[in-house]
Amino acid sequence: MGKVIFLFTLLCILVNAQDVSLEDKQQLQRECLQCHVEQQIPSTLIYRRYLMKYSTFERMQKAIFSYIKTPDQKHSIMPPQFFLKFPMKEALTLDDEKLQKMIECYLNTFDVKKKLVLPQ
Amino acid sequence: MLNSEQSSLVRFLLIYLGSTFLLFSLASWIFYASAKHDLLDQQRETLEYQSENIKSKLRLLHKSFDDTLIYPGGNSFDSAIFDLDKAYIFGTFENKPTLEQSDHYYDEKRLYHVVKIEPHYLGAAYLMVSKEIDKSPIATLQEKIIWFMLGAGLFFAALGYFLGRLFTAPMRDSIEQMNHFIQDTTHELNTPISTILTNIEMIETYGKHEKSEELQRIEIASKTLSRIYEDLTYLNLNHDYHRQIESVDITKMIEERIVYFSAMAQSRGLTIKLELIPKKILEMDPNDGVRLIDNLLSNAIKYNKTKGTLTVKLTEESLRIIDTGIGIAQKDLKGISKRFKRANKSEGGFGIGLDIVNQVVNSYGFVLHITSQLQKGTEVEIRWEK
Repeated sequence: MGKVIFLFTLLCILVNAQDVSLEDKQQLQRECLQCHVEQQIPSTLIYRRYLMKYSTFERMQKAIFSYIKTPDQKHSIMPPQFFLKFPMKEALTLDDEKLQKMIECYLNTFDVKKKLVLPQ
Repeated sequence: MLNSEQSSLVRFLLIYLGSTFLLFSLASWIFYASAKHDLLDQQRETLEYQSENIKSKLRLLHKSFDDTLIYPGGNSFDSAIFDLDKAYIFGTFENKPTLEQSDHYYDEKRLYHVVKIEPHYLGAAYLMVSKEIDKSPIATLQEKIIWFMLGAGLFFAALGYFLGRLFTAPMRDSIEQMNHFIQDTTHELNTPISTILTNIEMIETYGKHEKSEELQRIEIASKTLSRIYEDLTYLNLNHDYHRQIESVDITKMIEERIVYFSAMAQSRGLTIKLELIPKKILEMDPNDGVRLIDNLLSNAIKYNKTKGTLTVKLTEESLRIIDTGIGIAQKDLKGISKRFKRANKSEGGFGIGLDIVNQVVNSYGFVLHITSQLQKGTEVEIRWEK
């Protein structure tokens, strides 16, 4: 009986997590990445720039959150020349909790660690 | 080689070789630590080269947008990357290593090299490269040091022995000269002493006169001389002396020696008390027995008070000779049986009596025990069995 309850609980969590993840991904695409696609600014490239500067998930999360709340050329991860071609983005209207979730989703989507494999 | 020379030489060699060994050990240890450090440095250079290689490959990977990124590894080493918070990202180690130190370090098995990565390609802030330590050059180094220590040890042992012999030569010459002198003197004394004693005996046996006091004094003096002669001969010949072990009736021997010393005891007005068990047999050389008893009795008489008491107790287990003499101070008791050691110089003698007693006791596995109180007397006990 205990095993049945455990398996059921595990299944619920996985299904639920998958739903949230999909939903979050869709929302990330809608709220954030859509503009990047339209403006032809590769999101992977931006992620790699953040990764190269901030190294850890938490530091990147903090930096992205801070920039999105108050976009500023001085604190941007992109080089100054970038703003000659692209306008400064406007601050997002998403609430903090939602924004944090989107950032987490963004970082997880482009997480480079998942791509690393050992040589054969 | 003489005993004193041997013990001096042994002590010198112990101090000399001990200090040399310590000095060489310290020097070898410093050399070993330095040489090992150099060897590890050489191995670390390989790691430094590998780390630069990995860094450049990480840079390329960071710019790659392939679905899979093949981590740059190698067969001869392991590596791992860590983020700014020193959390493990990825690596080729079997077990995830922890990044606690920076730069380079090593443990029993592996050598580690840690470098910072700036900018943080793939989020990596630190790169750890590690390989198993190649211990063969270290083992060769240890082997060389051991051979060096052995060679140096043998050389300095030989040198120490040569120096020791050189330093003790004057002492050896002095002792040999003294021994030759004693040997020659005893040889020259033998004939006159024998002549005197034989003639006194003849006067006593065939003489028409009563034994006068003067004659008795001559007898005592001659016997003292004779006993000193016997002791010196015993000490001189002791090394080459071939003992003839036989069953000796020690009771009878004590009685005979008491008679021998009676004149000397009478001259000091001593009362002799004998408590002897009959026919106590010991397996020993009779000459050793005589020297043992003579020296104990002679000391007990010589250092006794005038009109004192000399008690001789012989049991199955031991012989005890008790006097009521001047006694020996506690501080002198420890070394009293060494040759030429005399606790009291008021009486004549060379201080060889107890040395002879000690030699006999050691030869037969007896146990010598001396107890004494100043101005009260001394008790010498010899236990036959250990």
